[in-house]
Amino acid sequence: MIDDVFKALADPTRRRLLDELFEEDGQTLSALEQRLPMSRFGVAKHLKVLEGAGLVTTRKRGREKLHFLNPVPIREVHDRWVSKYAEPWASALTGLKRDLEKENQDD
Amino acid sequence: MTEEQLYTVVGGRGTMTAFEIYIKASPERLWEAITDNEMRKRYSFGVGVESDWTQGSEYRAGVPGVVDISSGENVEVDPPRRLVQTFTALWSEDVKREGTTRVTWEIEPVGEDSCQLRVTHDQLDESANNQLYGGWPMILSGLKTLLETGEDLTTPGSLMYANAGNWGGE
Repeated sequence: MIDDVFKALADPTRRRLLDELFEEDGQTLSALEQRLPMSRFGVAKHLKVLEGAGLVTTRKRGREKLHFLNPVPIREVHDRWVSKYAEPWASALTGLKRDLEKENQDD
Repeated sequence: MTEEQLYTVVGGRGTMTAFEIYIKASPERLWEAITDNEMRKRYSFGVGVESDWTQGSEYRAGVPGVVDISSGENVEVDPPRRLVQTFTALWSEDVKREGTTRVTWEIEPVGEDSCQLRVTHDQLDESANNQLYGGWPMILSGLKTLLETGEDLTTPGSLMYANAGNWGGE
């Protein structure tokens, strides 16, 4: 699964599609096609790869098929390699927040 | 893939977010992890959920005596495949103002021993506070970790309410 994620991300057009969905989630193929200098067929092909990697998920609404950025696989990549570095930093921030709030109360 | 769910726009609240994850677990095990109070705490910010899980019943999520997170109705309960809930966020005055939204959980077996879990959070206001749906990637990643390894995922914030009694925040 993780191979598919990195393969899907290794293409600038597919990253651009994710950028477009990040900007506005839940778009139809027609809407996406207008945002990229590429044929409908080309966009559909790239979307298929993104769907296969789990980076795009679709829902039907009425007669429309909407495409959504699914950030979960990227979250999993994050959890695998980044979490250990972020942990002490985040707990320090939590401590800082607590101290600041306590100070505010004391004022 | 089964027939996809049709989503309707209610009262002009048409904004939808959608998430999916593949988890190596049976549908029954996944259903249990979603509806069991103790399991839920282990991947959902330390927050449990209580309900009798019958159709039309209420549920309540939070840390009793410390923080209320959400409440709502179990609109459709079809174990182990489909759960539709109304979702009213309660953890701050800002999110309370967002009113009632909807969360749909769909479990679809894939391959021999895995499932695709789809979570759709919709009936959101166009300018909905992103706190409402921003926790899903972490929750789903934690759910996968729990079911596949038996371990808790301890990324920052993932269990923020687990020791809620100790840090009196939010």
